[in-house]
Amino acid sequence: MLDPVMFTGGVYKHDLVTELVEDLGGYLLQKNVTQSEVILLMLVPHEDMQVLEALTKELKGKLERAPLAGTEIAVVTPTLAIHHLPHPACDVAEYLRRHGAKSNMIGMSRGVAKKIAQIDEYETTLINEHDAVVFTFGNFADCILKKEHLYRALTIPVIVTGGPEMRKEDLPYAFEYVPNVGRIAHRSRKATEIGSLDNIVAAVGRALDSVRASIFKDPLTTTPPRVMDAVREQVPDVLSSHSPLPIALNLNGLRIKLPYDEYHEAVAGVRFEEGVTLGEIAKVMPSRMKDYILVRILPVSETGFVV
Amino acid sequence: MEMDPLEVFEVEMPGEEYGAEKYREIIMDILQDLGLIRSIGRLYVYVEIGVPYFAVYGMIRGKLPPLRVRDVGDLVAAEGGYQITVEDEEHMAGLIRALWEAYGREKVEQPDRNVLVVLSDESPEELVVADLETEFRRDLMDALVRIAPEGFRNRRNEMGKDSFFFLAAEETIKPELLAEAKEKIGGMRDA
Repeated sequence: MLDPVMFTGGVYKHDLVTELVEDLGGYLLQKNVTQSEVILLMLVPHEDMQVLEALTKELKGKLERAPLAGTEIAVVTPTLAIHHLPHPACDVAEYLRRHGAKSNMIGMSRGVAKKIAQIDEYETTLINEHDAVVFTFGNFADCILKKEHLYRALTIPVIVTGGPEMRKEDLPYAFEYVPNVGRIAHRSRKATEIGSLDNIVAAVGRALDSVRASIFKDPLTTTPPRVMDAVREQVPDVLSSHSPLPIALNLNGLRIKLPYDEYHEAVAGVRFEEGVTLGEIAKVMPSRMKDYILVRILPVSETGFVV
Repeated sequence: MEMDPLEVFEVEMPGEEYGAEKYREIIMDILQDLGLIRSIGRLYVYVEIGVPYFAVYGMIRGKLPPLRVRDVGDLVAAEGGYQITVEDEEHMAGLIRALWEAYGREKVEQPDRNVLVVLSDESPEELVVADLETEFRRDLMDALVRIAPEGFRNRRNEMGKDSFFFLAAEETIKPELLAEAKEKIGGMRDA
């Protein structure tokens, strides 16, 4: 059992942490260096946590649980206009990031208004590549009810946020509804506003747990972090990608930020110790995000074995 | 008519009490951002989400006089012309442009960052630097477009001398809708 944690500390000697995590059989998901500070997102074996805690204490760093680490969350706004951005959508995205998630902001091309709002096929499939999605709606109860068709076709759990209190049974297609967010024209800073952001993180956590539970019923052939490690080792070009996160993890696969046409064969050819290649245990396909490569690991019921 | 800044500020949205309360905050935030609160005396907002439309009626507090050279800097007669020392650089660009237009580029010098010299016998004292009234109206339009929900893309705007009326709707604005919105706003003003 791997626990998602976030290490915050000085750059000096932080490589001791990454080395320890690798020795313990954990994975380093993301490393952010900001001047003299470093933030590491890692998956660490539960039973070895004490060793890491001791080292963190020695380095005078901070170790926190990051429940959303290793997941990708979409934050969707009706458009990219000043009415919806930067507040509160950026607050939501940033808050999810602080809890370890990789959050992507998506502005719909025609998501505005009550009667004319619509979503197209491209937007639907792009959002479906994530593990969960947060829709940020406004302050009118009537509009929130009418905009249900925007997320009805999505297959991932949908968290709807808006201003007024709504009854759960009025929004049957939403996984959860978080009130008191709505449209605001200032940054979230009051205790009640930050509290609402906490509620969104908690709701996203529950949504991800439901996805994990359904994956658990038919486990994946291998885990996404293991694939990430193998790709890093055997397709070293990914390390020179200019993206801040060259390999983004999902619960059921990963997105590799290399051009599909050039690299999909190399990625499908990644070989594991057990002798199978990635192409045999996963679908390697073009992502709808730029020209990236999307990998979806097949469940045991399709491959018949676990590596 | 003498009015205090925003002495009356009413928001009515039948069936959307939460929305009314939140839109009050949004309107305050946006007017504050654009520095318009002091120029508006009364503000009535009426929203019918069933149709839907968004109507705003406001009364403007007094007329703003145009900003002249004597308002933005100290003017002293110097050798061969006039020297203007500017304290607040906000209107520097407008000031230079106004001087260029009136005297020509070759007659205006800037020996220091906040000092301008005009080589002319004619005093620039009364020269208009900025038309605050036009700027205010432009900012006000910007604020109204920002305040109205984004999907309400059909807009109608009636700017009067001391009041303004703004209507935004999702569907085409027909005379009946305009009359209805005006009637509702009228009811709020009479209440």
